[in-house]
Amino acid sequence: MNNWNLNNKQMEQCVNCPVHNIDNLVKLGINMSNFDYVIALAGNPNTGKSTIFNNLTGLKQHTGNWPGKTVARAEGGFVYNNNNYKLVDLPGTYSLLSTSTDEDIARNFILFGKPDVTIIVVDSTRLERNLNLVLQILEITDRAILALNLMDELKRNNMSIDLRQLARELGIPVVPMEARQKKGMDELLKYVDEVSSGKFICKPRRLKSLSPKIDNAVNELSKKIKEQLPNLPNTRWVAMRLLEGDQQIIDALNSGEIGNLEPSLKHAEEPV
Amino acid sequence: MKNYTDITNRANELRWEIGESFHDSIIESIYSEAAAISSNTVKTSKNKDSYSFDAKIDKILTSKALGFPIMFVLLALVFWVTIVGSNYPSSLIAELLLDNVHPWLKQISSDIGLSYFVDGILIDGAYLAMAWVVAVMLPPMAIFFPIFTLLEDFGYLPRVSFNMDFLFRKAGAHGKQALTMAMGFGCNAAGVVAARVIDSPRERLLAIITNNFSLCNGRWPTQILIATIFIGSVVPVHFAGLATAAAVVAVALLGIILSLVVSWTLSKSILKGEASAFSLELPPYRPPRILQTLYTSLIDRTLFVLWRAIVFALPAGIVIWLVANINIQGISLAEYFIDWANPLGLLIGLNGVILLAYIIAIPANEIVIPTVLMLTVMTARLSGIGEGAGVMFELDSIKDTTTILQAGGWTTLTGINLMLFSLLHNPCSTTIYTIYKETKSVKWTAVATFLPLIMGFTVCFIVAHLYRLIS
Amino acid sequence: MDNEVFTTLVGFLLLILLLLFFLPGRGLFSKWKRALLDSKRVRIEDALKHLYDCEYNNTGCSLDSISGNLSLKRDEAAGLIQKLQSLGLVSLGRDKIELTGEGRNYALRIIRVHRLWERYLADETSIHASEWHERAEDVEHILSAEQADELAAQIGNPLTDPHGDPIPSSEGKMPVKQGVPITQFCVNDHVKIIHLEDEPKTIFAQLVAEGLYVGQHLRIIEISEERVKFEVDDEVIVLAPIIAANISVVKFDETNRVRRNLKKLSELKVGDGGLVVGISNLIRGQQRRRLLDLGVVPGTKIKAEIQSLGGDPTGYRIRGATIAIRKKQASQIFIKEINE
Ligand SMILES: Nc1nc2c(ncn2[C@@H]2O[C@H](COP(=O)(O)OP(=O)(O)OP(=O)(O)O)[C@@H](O)[C@H]2O)c(=O)[nH]1
Ligand SMILES: [Mg+2]
Repeated sequence: MNNWNLNNKQMEQCVNCPVHNIDNLVKLGINMSNFDYVIALAGNPNTGKSTIFNNLTGLKQHTGNWPGKTVARAEGGFVYNNNNYKLVDLPGTYSLLSTSTDEDIARNFILFGKPDVTIIVVDSTRLERNLNLVLQILEITDRAILALNLMDELKRNNMSIDLRQLARELGIPVVPMEARQKKGMDELLKYVDEVSSGKFICKPRRLKSLSPKIDNAVNELSKKIKEQLPNLPNTRWVAMRLLEGDQQIIDALNSGEIGNLEPSLKHAEEPV
Repeated sequence: MKNYTDITNRANELRWEIGESFHDSIIESIYSEAAAISSNTVKTSKNKDSYSFDAKIDKILTSKALGFPIMFVLLALVFWVTIVGSNYPSSLIAELLLDNVHPWLKQISSDIGLSYFVDGILIDGAYLAMAWVVAVMLPPMAIFFPIFTLLEDFGYLPRVSFNMDFLFRKAGAHGKQALTMAMGFGCNAAGVVAARVIDSPRERLLAIITNNFSLCNGRWPTQILIATIFIGSVVPVHFAGLATAAAVVAVALLGIILSLVVSWTLSKSILKGEASAFSLELPPYRPPRILQTLYTSLIDRTLFVLWRAIVFALPAGIVIWLVANINIQGISLAEYFIDWANPLGLLIGLNGVILLAYIIAIPANEIVIPTVLMLTVMTARLSGIGEGAGVMFELDSIKDTTTILQAGGWTTLTGINLMLFSLLHNPCSTTIYTIYKETKSVKWTAVATFLPLIMGFTVCFIVAHLYRLIS
Repeated sequence: MDNEVFTTLVGFLLLILLLLFFLPGRGLFSKWKRALLDSKRVRIEDALKHLYDCEYNNTGCSLDSISGNLSLKRDEAAGLIQKLQSLGLVSLGRDKIELTGEGRNYALRIIRVHRLWERYLADETSIHASEWHERAEDVEHILSAEQADELAAQIGNPLTDPHGDPIPSSEGKMPVKQGVPITQFCVNDHVKIIHLEDEPKTIFAQLVAEGLYVGQHLRIIEISEERVKFEVDDEVIVLAPIIAANISVVKFDETNRVRRNLKKLSELKVGDGGLVVGISNLIRGQQRRRLLDLGVVPGTKIKAEIQSLGGDPTGYRIRGATIAIRKKQASQIFIKEINE
């Protein structure tokens, strides 16, 4: 019950610590030349991605309380701890597995845009539904941060979330936030810095409970892929996409471009 | 280069073996893990009070008895506040920019001895068009956008979509079309882009094609001014604001009805099909942060829209001055066109001036009214009002304008039909380009462009003839 | 004012003429477009398709069946066969007409386009089931192989058409035929529909009207010369054997998953809750994926929360969020009531 309070305290401590201070943030607006890292903001619709984007870049993406407000990709820059970041605000998406056109932009960027860190913004009051996308993203990347937004609404609804447990379950940093009140930005930036520079190593959760029939098929195919492409890290995920008939992956494979996937997968560990 | 066809072939075989339930099964697995994680981490207090606030508001906003009245009253209220509230600031700005700054500029120009041509183009063309657009656009936008953003942040728009869905379903369209229309009240190009939230390509096209029936901010000045002159002035003074608002709301409602009717017609013809699925997440109500919203919507939206209007008004002002001042055998280009187009214009209850104005205003609807007034002055050859050919004059009193328009041969019919035509004509060039970018199809862009135009001519034609047959 | 009346009349006349010309489906413009289709090639392709069907179903093909299927006169059909032979697409045995390898590939290409298009219509366009076949019959002669591949990629490389027929791969591969007519099963067998024959059309229309679809689970109650009776989704359906023979099924052993005593989500009253058991296969493609993504998967608790002022859609509480769903979709989501 008191996790949120506990974390409030953590946040306060953080404000006082020398390195991770919001004062080290310089908003760069649309100026993002010579960036060191690319950060993507992904998540379900209406979870506050654009609000966080505006907070960090000083830009003025439209926000609104309805799913689907952002329909195009937006980019901006900021400097934090002497690193230049390019931040990409994506349209909200419920899933990476669909082929729906409106979600193409987000899907393509997460898969092929090679972000160095993906910030997954979730609505803390609808955690279970949001975890669908989170678990899917964790299948492809191991550099992710969970921004647990809308904590004020969680409190208003008399709910609480065990942050430590959640971080343990997912294997990535979890940051409680109230983006509209600009709360939690420090800690988010701290983790962006640590994860992008490799100081913090994520151990993202991978799906365990596939049905036996599917598991067998995925394993067989993934073994076959591994034989021919020993350097491809997350072959299980590629196998799953092939079994779904995902044309982008089939094309990438046929044209030999599958290597393009490697950078964004380069740190992924193969769960056996 | 390696060949991986054995992998893809094996994948295909496996797909046949697993069958089509693969996707279902994966999502099921993911959700079972999500549920496990969430039950390990989320604690809900047994207090049943959560969400009851939202539920209460929802009960009211979506109730059979109150849902539609609330929607209607809110729409009317937004327009009324905008019309009444912008009345005074508009005339203030007009007085400043037109009565004070314009003569001052003219003085400077004559002091430094600018040629007639340069002076005309820059000051009587570009500057006046810009000043005019600022005067008629800035106040209504500065009032409308904040109110609209407040409603948006509160979470009302998804409820509108939820409530209106049954109408759209009957029209073979998607309930989220209501969201795109709401965006269209701000700007049609934005509404067209917003149609990406609709999954079904057919229904998305319907939303794109019919977005033009949402009265965008560029067309309000026309609606407001004409309604004030021809409708507001025939009722007692205290009700003028109300009657004007009612007329504008009526046109806006007509637009909503037409987009349903057109969607229905298209669903039965060239975009044949039944309504597909609709799923919309209803977000919780969020009390907006009023000051922050006021500030950002003023800075981000109002100034942005105003900037666009100015950018289009400057060259348009130059064009207007040129067509009014380039003479062939003593008759200006504008007069040639107007004389030529007048018969057609009169046939549909408008006139040549209005048609020419709509051609000049293809880049942006915002400049229709200035153009109409200026051309009317010129062709009616009114002396004493307006400052000569090609000069947009100030509109400091409605009465002056009325006199001018009546002298130009305007009747109540012209007013009504202009309001209709302002709703029903081709989208502005930005919107057309956006439609092309979104659909990547010349055919649908053409349909979206010419369909409203044909409808406009048809409706105006019918109204004109019914009106004349009756009177 | 005669003049006024006159112009009014002329105006309306013009409008009517325009309408006549561009009337979709029946206007002169669309008639002209249809005439552009090369009728000779269409005939050849239709004949190849028919020959392939015979081969796939192991029923012999004859001149009669061809003339019957394409509604040609006997001598026309014979001419057509000769033409096919001269093109090297068929070979004539003693009393057998067989496809050559090239002919089979050609046929598979046409079938691929046909089935893909039906699938596309079913998944993405919300055009009524009774129109899929007809439209695909036109499109199969127009779309090129490349366009078909593009279409397939766009709709996620589906495996079967909405009738349950497999879609040949772009390399012309087809899985072996599965399923047998329901008439060959016994009383009390649990079976799953894997195919509804879409020709002849009248029979298919009847099957659709009965609410049958591929993927549905049935329990057979009676099989006799006079009738075939089975239970499906809590309803009992009786069909003439001739008609029932158009339903191909496979045996289904997970008896516990046969849907019994289920309610539809649309039957929930506001305030009531249930447990999702499954989504019917009538919801396909994009629509299905969307529902799944929103959390409508078996085992999900679901509660009807608010109703829109028109009575439809209804907002359901699903995994912490309120999601509005139309009645049409909600009636394809099966639930079990829970007693709290
Ligand atoms: N109460 C509260 N509201 C928030 C918070 N963060 C964002 N919001 C509001 O939530 C709404 C959605 O925010 P957006 O930033 O537009 O969400 P998004 O994720 O970009 O949404 P899409 O673009 O539709 O995917 C806006 O009305 C914000 O003002 C928060 O921490 N607390
Ligand atoms: Mg956004």
